[in-house]
Formats: sequence, C-alpha cells, structure tokens
Amino acid sequence: MTSETARRNFAEHVLPHLDDAYSLARWLCGDATDAEDVVQDACVRALKALEGGAAVERPRAWLLAIVRNAAYSWLGKNRPRAIVLAGAAEEAEAHADALETAASPSPEAALIEMADRAMVAAAIDGLPLTFRETLVMREINGLSYREISEATGAPIGTVMSRLARARALLAQKLGTAP
Amino acid sequence: MTRPSFEDRSLLLHAALDGELDAAGVIEMERLLAADPELAAEYARLKALREAIRAKAPRERAPDSLRLRMMELAETQQTPRREAKTARWRDPPSWRSFAAAMAATVVATLGLQHLIAASNAPDTALQAIVSAHMRSQISGQPVDVVSTDRHTVKPWLAGKLPVAAEVVDLSEAGFPLAGGRIDIVGGAGVPTLVYKRRDHLISVTELRAEGEEAAIPRHLAVEGYPVVRWSDNERAYVAVSDLSPIDLDAFVAAFRRAVAKGGGGGQKVFETPP
Repeated sequence: MTSETARRNFAEHVLPHLDDAYSLARWLCGDATDAEDVVQDACVRALKALEGGAAVERPRAWLLAIVRNAAYSWLGKNRPRAIVLAGAAEEAEAHADALETAASPSPEAALIEMADRAMVAAAIDGLPLTFRETLVMREINGLSYREISEATGAPIGTVMSRLARARALLAQKLGTAP
Repeated sequence: MTRPSFEDRSLLLHAALDGELDAAGVIEMERLLAADPELAAEYARLKALREAIRAKAPRERAPDSLRLRMMELAETQQTPRREAKTARWRDPPSWRSFAAAMAATVVATLGLQHLIAASNAPDTALQAIVSAHMRSQISGQPVDVVSTDRHTVKPWLAGKLPVAAEVVDLSEAGFPLAGGRIDIVGGAGVPTLVYKRRDHLISVTELRAEGEEAAIPRHLAVEGYPVVRWSDNERAYVAVSDLSPIDLDAFVAAFRRAVAKGGGGGQKVFETPP
C-alpha cells in the first residue's frame, strides 16, 4: 500500500498535469490508446519515485521527463524504427535539412496562418522525434527552455537549436505552396 | 560592438518569441528587428506559426477514464484493469452525475483518513459558502476585485475586512489567481479568493477556526459540489469548485503548502509568454 506522503505528493504533483502528460504522449507515440498506456506507465513510475522519496521542484517538467522515458520505452518495444534515427544521426540529417531549407524560397506567414488542423498535425507528426518532443513541450505544454532542458536532459543550447530547426521545418512545410 | 552571427541572431529571435530574453536582450532584439526587414519578416513567420500551432494543435484533455484510473493507482498500487473501466466509462453521463460518481470514488478510495461528513446535514456556514460560489458562477462575476497579483488582492481585502486574509500565489502549481471577493457567512463578511484551473473556478473562503477544527482536510459534498474543509495556523478554510474532486484535492495540497511556506508560493524562473 502506498504511503500517505507519496499519495499526497502524487495527487499534488502528478494528477494536475495529466492533460500535459497525455498530450505529450499522444504526440510522441501518435495514437490515443497507446498514449493512455504510456501515461499509465509513467504514472506508475512517478508513484514509485515518490515512494522512494524523490524531491520534486518543478512537477510538470519532472512528470514530462518520466512520460518521455515511458514513451521511449514504448517506442523501443513497438516502433523500434521510430527511434533508430533519434540521436546524433538524426541531428546531423536535420541539420542538412535545415541548410537546404535556408536555400529554398521563404515560407509565407499568410500561408502558415491558413493551414488547417490536419496539415498542422501532419507537419508536427513529420518532425524527427527529438525536434517533435522539443516543439510539443514548448508550444503545446508551454514549458520554458529550462524546463525542457530538464525534461529532455539536453543542454539549453541544444534545446534552442532543436526548437529553431523544428520551427524552420514546420514553417517550410506549411508556408510554401505545394 | 560585433554583429551577432546569423545562427546566433536566429536563436535570439526564437528566444524573443518565447519570452526567454532578459531586458537587455529585448532591447537588442528590438534594435535588430528595426534595422533588418528580413529578420522582421522571419519574426512575423514565427509568430504566425505559433498562432497556427496554438489554434490547430491545442493541448488535449486526458480522457476521464484515464484520470479515474490514475486516481485509483495511488490507492491500490496495482495496475488497474483498463478494459473493464474503459467500457464502463465509454458513454460518460452528464457532468453533474459524473462529478458525483467521481466524488463517490474519491470517498471510497481515500479511506478512513478523511472523515466524510456528507451524511450529516451540512452546517449553515458551508451552505452559505457553496451558495456564494454558485451565485458567483451564475452571475458571471466570480470576483469583486479582478487581479492575478496577490499583492493587489490582499490589500483590497484588508481594506474591507477586519482580518488579514492569507493570499498565496499558486500559478506555478497550475492554479492562477483570478481575484477575490467578500462573502457573507453567519452575518459577517469573510474573504474569498478565487483561483482558476482551465475553465474552472475554485473559491477558497477563510473562516476563523472553531475549537475542534480538524487540520486534516475533510471532504464533503454540498449541493453536488465537492467541498474540502481544513485548517492551518488557527485559520479554517473551505474550498469549493466544480473541478473534479481529485483536482480540488491537488489544489488544497498546493494551497496548504504555499501557506506553510509563508505565502510565497512557487516563483517562476522564466515568464511564459501569453
């Protein structure tokens, strides 16, 4: 049985951020049902950590870090190909993409504004995993750079360049006529 | 002064968009934007992109079935069965009865630590507080003083009431302050703070603690609203909301912690832009 303290901390640190956890999980694994499994797994992990006396300073970033880990485990098991590229190779490839992007015509703000839900979703889904998670944490979860750095374990400089490239790729996709 | 490189300027632009620049950085950015139309166009694109994402890929609400299972999680520490629950909650009933069901679940799972007083007739003070909360919702005027700043709300209340109310900042915990109002309980004015959680409002009324006030939060249901009553430092508090009971519980925990810290609450490291 869970201790009273862990249970109270769970109610205070985890449950208020379930929407954030669920949204992140959805964007990382791309499916509502799988996202529920990932969030559930993350909550089990979070409860265990609280049981072990984890000190939580920024609950949302802390929980999203756990959700991210749970999502990566899930992807590793169910979509191994999705994370094969994650990491250094992906960064390099995306860097090349970004350079290419800079050479192509500038996206138009008006076109970006006109994109519909499906287009925006498809564009985000199409981002490489590390870019997608950074963008989702910033734009959808509303985390600060520092919190994203904490949740992803990447230095702030890396967070910033991933975010910049994620946005460049999205703007390119949504802001240039097909 | 050296000109920042293209790469640096680009990162600076994003940091400006994300509200992550300090005052000096903002001034530098404004200077760069004014001097460079291309950079200004890039900034406009980034803003359009942000708008598009916010409007078309909003944060999603976790399904109630998931929320319910996670509430149970802390109680049982066993992985709850998903299939059965999903089926049961596939067609959620109306919010009111759903809230009642949630309250029932919380009541059932929280066990003996929390005394349930719902079976007794709620006292008149609670009735008055819940009525005030309901009226505030119906009238669309939940607060007399609108402010997200506790340094505005506290003096406003102090100017109207003989007692100094405890006003804490809970924005970091996800409950920004909406303002304050004065409710009438037992013929006297009492301070009520109003906090927000997404579209829901939480009213917290401070009362003078009576003799045997229990420090442990007690969960009640009045007029179908979940109500939590507790006391700290000789002050008694009553929180009422149309939030789910578990969210209300989280609110109470955050409130108590902030009060224990001396009203400071959490401070934000970076300001998130609106």
